[in-house]
Amino acid sequence: MIQRRTVLQRLMYAAGMAVTSTLPYGFARLMVPEARAGFSTHLRPPGVLPDEHAFNSACIGCGLCGEVCPPRCIRFYQHEGGEKVNTPYIDPEQKACILCNKCMEVCPTEALTETPRNDIDMGIAQIDRTACYPWVDRVICGACVSICPLGERAIGFKLWNQYQPVVKTDCVGCGLCVEVCPHPSLPIRIVRRSEGTVTRHRL
Amino acid sequence: MKAKPFFLWRHLNKLRWLTLATVFSMLVLLPFLHVYQAYVAAHAYDLLAPREQELYDTLEMLTAPFVSDPAEDLDAIKGNTWSGTFFGLQLSDPLAAAGQMAAGMNLYTPFLLTALIPVLLTVLFGRFYCGWICPASFLYELNSNLAILLRRMGLQAGRRHLDKRFKYAVLIAGLVLSMITGSVVVAAIYPPAVVGREIYYAVALGGFGAGTVFFAVTLLFDLLVAQRGFCRYLCPGGALYSLLGRYRLVRIQRIVENCNDCAKCNAVCEFGLDPLRDGFGQECNNCTACIAVCPTDALTFEIKPQDVGYQGAGHLGKRYQREHAYGASGEGMP
Repeated sequence: MIQRRTVLQRLMYAAGMAVTSTLPYGFARLMVPEARAGFSTHLRPPGVLPDEHAFNSACIGCGLCGEVCPPRCIRFYQHEGGEKVNTPYIDPEQKACILCNKCMEVCPTEALTETPRNDIDMGIAQIDRTACYPWVDRVICGACVSICPLGERAIGFKLWNQYQPVVKTDCVGCGLCVEVCPHPSLPIRIVRRSEGTVTRHRL
Repeated sequence: MKAKPFFLWRHLNKLRWLTLATVFSMLVLLPFLHVYQAYVAAHAYDLLAPREQELYDTLEMLTAPFVSDPAEDLDAIKGNTWSGTFFGLQLSDPLAAAGQMAAGMNLYTPFLLTALIPVLLTVLFGRFYCGWICPASFLYELNSNLAILLRRMGLQAGRRHLDKRFKYAVLIAGLVLSMITGSVVVAAIYPPAVVGREIYYAVALGGFGAGTVFFAVTLLFDLLVAQRGFCRYLCPGGALYSLLGRYRLVRIQRIVENCNDCAKCNAVCEFGLDPLRDGFGQECNNCTACIAVCPTDALTFEIKPQDVGYQGAGHLGKRYQREHAYGASGEGMP
């Protein structure tokens, strides 16, 4: 017959094991403090699961998407990442996505699913008309329009003035326009689709 | 004296070191390949210097037979041991599959299938991944060599014994935490994943990441607390492999007729197992260090789903010979 004391001892031991076994995870988590609050220009790679939580649980942090990325625009959250640590992001201010589909093809999990180019949703471009050169000064620029891989469907000039850019609803948010924008304050940036001026006015 | 084991088993340890070193150097070289690819893409191929064109042609020639799309020639081998592609074959760590399954709370079969080959090999060979492939193992073994060096200099490295079952608790805690937080937390503390990732970050993205500190701490833990302590007591992947390889078919076994009880096998075993008394268990990673060190060829591979129990003292040893010289009951012993 097992004595009550041994049962208690074993229970204590198991409880101690259960508590101490979470310590390595806590220790690893200590090194990645909470994600910074506030506006961030970081985008997720194309073909990403629409729900951020579902993406975090599907991504195993293997880094394959970054390794096949031809322009090397995919980077990974580090110390500032919080629970997003080791998951991929694209900072279009540094280097933007060229929509080549390689990351979606190589991803072993469904975190990045293969999506046709027109259905990719990384966000939508938004132009700050109080800063954009042609909108403010009537100067000649058009860098964003000429770089856009989707062409006329995504961004075009306003009809009555050749050089004032206007975003259209087919924009997938690849961020090449952000990368190429010559204005130091980047009046064009990628926002969530629901927050974009164009989409808000359409809906 | 029984027949000697197949002579090649003695040299498997060298092959193992070669494999470990190859995997590790691949992990270092692949990010450079990636950087080089981006370099070629940035400077069109025609504009490269002749020497660089030669290098590119050579690399392309090596990989071209294995890929269908010439544009993806150099993408044939990508990734690390956590998850990677190898000439079109996608392979993943079973722990990655388990962790992802727990985090998402659903079965995503295409990804689980990539872990199938490693799982089958583990069922056959037990914890072979730990001894033969794991890039962290490579560094940990170098680290235990450093401990030997320190001991020669008079500094005592830690040789504490903790509870082996602790790593199973770490594995379960990791899966439960994955379920709760919804992200694959085991990836943050699993050394091979950390090492593969950090090398890639350092080479291709210009700096070590958060995991480097963690890995450095595990190295110190091994040095100061217990020999190969992380693998033996904490590694969640090691726990998973031990469970999968519990009834492995290929295992090391002692030939009691050849054994002389010299205990060199116990001294050389990095995992602190007990080959001298047939104590291999599910922890053995088939590293064959004990076979290589055995002076009387008393250890060999057997195909058996379970260990034999303690077979008694080695027949060439003093204890066995004393007992049997004077009879089993020991009458007339000095």
